Amino acid sequence: MDLLAQILVNGTLQGGLYAVMALGLALVWGVLNIVNLAHGAFIMLGGYASWYLYTYAHIDPFLGLPLTAAVMFGLGYGLQRGLLNLVIRAPMFNTLLITFGLEVVLTYLAQLVFSADFRTINPPYAGNSLAWGPVVLPLARLAAFGVAIVLTVGMWLFLLHTRLGRAIRATAQNLVAARLYGVEPRHLYAMTFGLGIALAGAAGTLYGTVSQINPYIGASLTAKSFAISIIGGLENPLGVIVGGLFLGIVESLTTLYIGQTFADVASFGILVLVLIVRPSGLLGKTT
Amino acid sequence: MSGPADLIPRTPLLKVANLGAGYGGMPVLHDVSLEVYPAEMVALVGSNGAGKTTLLRALSRMLPCSGSIVLNGHELAGMTPDQAFGLGLVQVPEGRQLFDRMTVQDNLLMGSYRRQDQAAVNRDLDKIYTLFPRLTERRRQLAGSMSGGEQQMCAMARALMAAPVLMMVDEMSLGLAPVVVQQLMEVLAAIQRDGVTVLLVEQDVQLALSGSDRGYVMETGRIVHHGQARDLIDDPAVQQAYLGL
Repeated sequence: MDLLAQILVNGTLQGGLYAVMALGLALVWGVLNIVNLAHGAFIMLGGYASWYLYTYAHIDPFLGLPLTAAVMFGLGYGLQRGLLNLVIRAPMFNTLLITFGLEVVLTYLAQLVFSADFRTINPPYAGNSLAWGPVVLPLARLAAFGVAIVLTVGMWLFLLHTRLGRAIRATAQNLVAARLYGVEPRHLYAMTFGLGIALAGAAGTLYGTVSQINPYIGASLTAKSFAISIIGGLENPLGVIVGGLFLGIVESLTTLYIGQTFADVASFGILVLVLIVRPSGLLGKTT
Repeated sequence: MSGPADLIPRTPLLKVANLGAGYGGMPVLHDVSLEVYPAEMVALVGSNGAGKTTLLRALSRMLPCSGSIVLNGHELAGMTPDQAFGLGLVQVPEGRQLFDRMTVQDNLLMGSYRRQDQAAVNRDLDKIYTLFPRLTERRRQLAGSMSGGEQQMCAMARALMAAPVLMMVDEMSLGLAPVVVQQLMEVLAAIQRDGVTVLLVEQDVQLALSGSDRGYVMETGRIVHHGQARDLIDDPAVQQAYLGL
């Protein structure tokens, strides 16, 4: 019983991180209709940025997170303005190809620049943990979970209640009307992609504090983010939280009762099931 | 036929001269010229396929065009849609084009997306809710879940939130019950009294001309008649072609 409780807690903590990983992908997908296959590579870059900040400038990863996110935002804005806006009207296949190309380039650039060594952001409190009855709460994971939830809920409130957030939702729903009411799509798309990449950078920072980063983590993180976006639905950042927690818990349970190697089978099996049964996501409307 | 002959000469708010536009090399509009004076309601009528919506798309710069479009002394022909919008050229598009999965309030606030003066935006929001009490009741409801008439009100309210200099209303009556259309016409008259200039684009010739000061009749991409609205209603050629008399 204690073991089950511990597994559920582990899954929940992991799920929060999954949510913030998928959030940027879902945002970009929902608004720009680009499935960004390089999303995981941007998570990887965010992880390295925070690793360098911590290792050479001794900036705590949680304090350095806004800086990493800001730099990644600039990178995302520039990429959308200079590259992706050129193909935004093209069929989805073209944007898939371009973002796949980006993923390959970023991965091999990372291998050249950062080497293939595994890195972990290891602040002094990394080994500490809290005890909650019989359940152990590793401090770094708990903090990463907290930040992930704050970011996701913050994103939700931003989309609901700010002028830019409203314009992002409006553009996703009706581009023609948004343009008629003064939205300049090139700028708005770049802001949205920038936000998506900033979230990826933040996710990378959190990932680096609880797990190991290397240049090749991108592809599998993209796949996982994709699955969570589908499971949660693209409409609503809270759906991404649900999708992330669900996947985290399912993976932990699968690891405990069936075996580590089956964790991915379970998560992508669920993806297929969701696509068949509830294609608009767990929280999506079934119309 | 002449322009507003009974009035002293004024500068038109909108002056369109020799406008041509089309889709993919196929010309739709030929040599269209028209004028709209401040605080007028002008009807642009014609049957389905006459080029009315194409003209609006060209005016709001969603479509490339030749010729000249001058609004308040600014030449719009080289501008992007958001630049023309910034000068106060606001469209209520055909089919409403609301943000269906956003609340009524969010739709209205999208109308004021480009305005900086928050106090004035809030004032206008209050004023518009007074003008459309139905929307006040439904401010938290998703726009797409309302009836057709309510959606048309929402689309017009959204346009008003943009503080229009010239409001162009495209096929307002389409698919709506006559009693609802009559309510909307009354709202338009109130909007006009408030100093907003209105260009009303309609297939329903009788409806549009009866509520307007002047009118233009379009056929196959050309302006074929224009004049005072009451003269057009009495014009035998217009009566025979459009009014079924």
